Amino acid sequence: MNALDILQLCKHYPGGAYPAVDNISLSLPDGEILALVGPSGCGKTTTLRLVAGLERPDNGEIRINGEVVASNHLFVPPEKRGVGMVFQEHALFPHLTAAGNVAFGLQKESRSKSQEKVRAILSLVGLENLAERYPHELSGGERQRVALARALAPEPVLLLMDEPFSSLDADLRLEMREQVRGILKAMRATAVFVTHDQEEALYMGDRLAVFQRGHLEQVGAPEEIFHASQTRFVAEFMGNSDFLPGQACAAGIRTEIGVLPQPLGLPEGTPVEIALRADDVDFEPDTQGNAVIVERLFRGAHNVYRLKLDSGQRLHVMHPHIQITQAGTRARAFINAGHSLAVFHNGRAVSGEIRPK
Amino acid sequence: MGRPCNNESMQIFTSQRPRTAISPRLLAAAGLVALFVAIPFGYIIIRATTGGMEVWVRLLVSDRLRDLLLNTLILMTVVTTGALLTGVGMAWLTERTDLPGRNIFRWLLALPLVIPAYIGAIVHLALLRSRGGMIPQALASIFGEAVPTPSPLGLWGAAFILTLFTYPYVYLLSGAAFRNMHASMEEAARSFGRNSWQTFWQVTLPALRPGLAAGALLVALDTLAEYGTVALLRYETFSSAIFAQLYGRFDRSSAAVLSGVLVALAVLILWAEIRVHGRARFTQMDSGWRPAALLPLGKWKWAAFLLVLGVSSASLLVPVSVLTFWSVSALLDPQALAAVFRSGSQGFGNFAWNSLWSSSLAALLAVALSIPVALLAVRYPGHLSRFISRFCQVGYALPGVVIALSLTALGSQYLPFMYGTPLMVIMAYVLRHMPQAVRASQAALERLSPTLEEAARTLGRSSLQTLFQVTIPLVLPGLLAGGALVFLTSLKELPATLLLRPAGFDTLAVRVWVWADEGFYAQAAPAALLLVLVSAIPLSFLLRREQIFNERS
Repeated sequence: MNALDILQLCKHYPGGAYPAVDNISLSLPDGEILALVGPSGCGKTTTLRLVAGLERPDNGEIRINGEVVASNHLFVPPEKRGVGMVFQEHALFPHLTAAGNVAFGLQKESRSKSQEKVRAILSLVGLENLAERYPHELSGGERQRVALARALAPEPVLLLMDEPFSSLDADLRLEMREQVRGILKAMRATAVFVTHDQEEALYMGDRLAVFQRGHLEQVGAPEEIFHASQTRFVAEFMGNSDFLPGQACAAGIRTEIGVLPQPLGLPEGTPVEIALRADDVDFEPDTQGNAVIVERLFRGAHNVYRLKLDSGQRLHVMHPHIQITQAGTRARAFINAGHSLAVFHNGRAVSGEIRPK
Repeated sequence: MGRPCNNESMQIFTSQRPRTAISPRLLAAAGLVALFVAIPFGYIIIRATTGGMEVWVRLLVSDRLRDLLLNTLILMTVVTTGALLTGVGMAWLTERTDLPGRNIFRWLLALPLVIPAYIGAIVHLALLRSRGGMIPQALASIFGEAVPTPSPLGLWGAAFILTLFTYPYVYLLSGAAFRNMHASMEEAARSFGRNSWQTFWQVTLPALRPGLAAGALLVALDTLAEYGTVALLRYETFSSAIFAQLYGRFDRSSAAVLSGVLVALAVLILWAEIRVHGRARFTQMDSGWRPAALLPLGKWKWAAFLLVLGVSSASLLVPVSVLTFWSVSALLDPQALAAVFRSGSQGFGNFAWNSLWSSSLAALLAVALSIPVALLAVRYPGHLSRFISRFCQVGYALPGVVIALSLTALGSQYLPFMYGTPLMVIMAYVLRHMPQAVRASQAALERLSPTLEEAARTLGRSSLQTLFQVTIPLVLPGLLAGGALVFLTSLKELPATLLLRPAGFDTLAVRVWVWADEGFYAQAAPAALLLVLVSAIPLSFLLRREQIFNERS
């Protein structure tokens, strides 16, 4: 049985230009972490709040552990859904200690049982010594862990996390996401995690769901999302790709910088776009070349060059830092990928295998 | 009114999402509160408009209405101007210059709020009246003949007294604005080649404007509602005319017509006040704050010192000293002492106790009733919730005499079991002072992140449990501030208490008024002094919450 099923969920705020959540269906098996990712305003947080019961859907159905909690005739309030939630600003109760915050969700347990549970969960998140501190006496990372412990203490069927790391600074964010993923996996928790940071989503999620403007663009494992993006939006959002226009031909795809030997099975001349990452392209200095180097960006272990093709199209190329080519040099750019590339026609992926040379 | 977002309140939580479904229970509770407020208001409007043509004709033909309107408007204009000049001037001197003793003056200038204007009027009348006044007598004994002194009676006397006891509103609002303004704003103006005078007019004053407008409108509303001072100083306004109709002639029809005009005037001012009120608080402190450089007064230093000393003497030091002097002489005089502690069956303890419990109960009720209204306005911003929250502030536009008029009529007809009990007095306090509670609760709730309530819901609490276990404990200081304000103003309320109290229900305010009216100043003084001291407790709690009394690190 799935921990969470979402069927054709819709939510439209009055005054919104487009629906916040537009006909979304999703399933989440037990023990899995699902990352909802997308730019701000894409509907990922609204979806999470609909699952929590903090918003009422306009249409569709939500089931938690097989039980319907929201449908067109039924709405179970948040306190009866058995979900835990970690909020963006942590939302710790400032009038309660760390232990008090964690015990807040255990009001149905006996006093001794509750105390025992609080102690156990605080030591799981490594805060057993800070139980009597108030939220303002804790650091950002400690507050984060109290919020997690508080949400986990009542042993929810489902844990919901709304951009839980966005209020932390960069270093701490990296450290916390390792710790939190460790804790969730140790408890075998089922979790839905919302973020706008694609790197964080790739790290935290067993699977990813990419949102745009209320639509679900693609659901899949991190590798699938990254390497086999189904829409141009996903490719654009997940990896810093350049999109090189081309036309389908018998040998593959004809582009400004040569023919990519990846036949598509599309009629000759169909316009397509190839998603190129900086390691899929290469160049060599050539006074007769098809491009000019606009800028060299130092990235520590390597250099990234920005190229402008004669058509005006921009491409990024990654080179090891031992070779340095000056900006302004003319060069010949070419595709240098050992694997199939993502190709899109009208924004949707078209399949095709690269032919080895 | 047409903007979709609640820009009247400061939006701290930008992540606040649009809400669709208003909780029906909350809406019902807030609607009931609004209905409670609407009844006396609606009664006055209906009585005034359907009160009978001949009353309107009589009042119009005799020019009575015109005279009252002129009197009231002139007094309101003079007092508002005076309070603005005094308030801003004092705030500028204590916040922006190297005035000697500015830390003490900051308190002294805010404290006149504990002295009801009519008690100030009693003291100044005893000092200045031309026959038997303490100052004319003293001058006559020094010079051997009568020296002409300004009379405390009439327009200028009333304007002087009301200015002295209402300028603290402007002082507190503009003081906070002066203090919170970024020093860099004025420095930027100077760097663009403005001198300090131009900077004051082009940068400083525009930044103060919302605070000044809000302060000025509060002063205007207070002046409209004032009864004691104008009655004592023989200057007739709407309030005192209505009081006379009700108390003496029991002519309810013409009282209702006059009340209708007064309320219409007050509603107009209140509408303007609500429009600027939200913006008055754009003086938010933030991380980049540092104090502005103090302006050295140089040779003007001692002149400024004498000016500030003069204002705080007239508004605080002299009234308190005179009351203390009278109290001591009353306590030393066995006859007066006996009168103070035993007047008929009622003793001093009774008045104090009546004041205390009626004002406390009013504060408690006003805060409790304000919670659903404020919750609705803050958590479900929209046209309806904004209308309800604004409507519940109509009490500001209902002077004590008007509330008394409608409660007398409505109470005797529909609430016979309450009529003639102290509950009518308390109901008047709640109606009149609820706006302060609504504003305080709303300000407190705006500072509470809604995610705390949502967290409680996901941890298994129902919405009602969340209200009592999370929301109310966390906004308690703000609620208490609202309660303190209602307590303070109820304690001082005179006309509604005089008109609605059952026989034998004397409060401190009533006793002070009755004794002073009969000329027994020494006898009235201990009660007045106690009233001032009791008021000082909630006021000092409130002032400590004000930014200008918080020393920041």
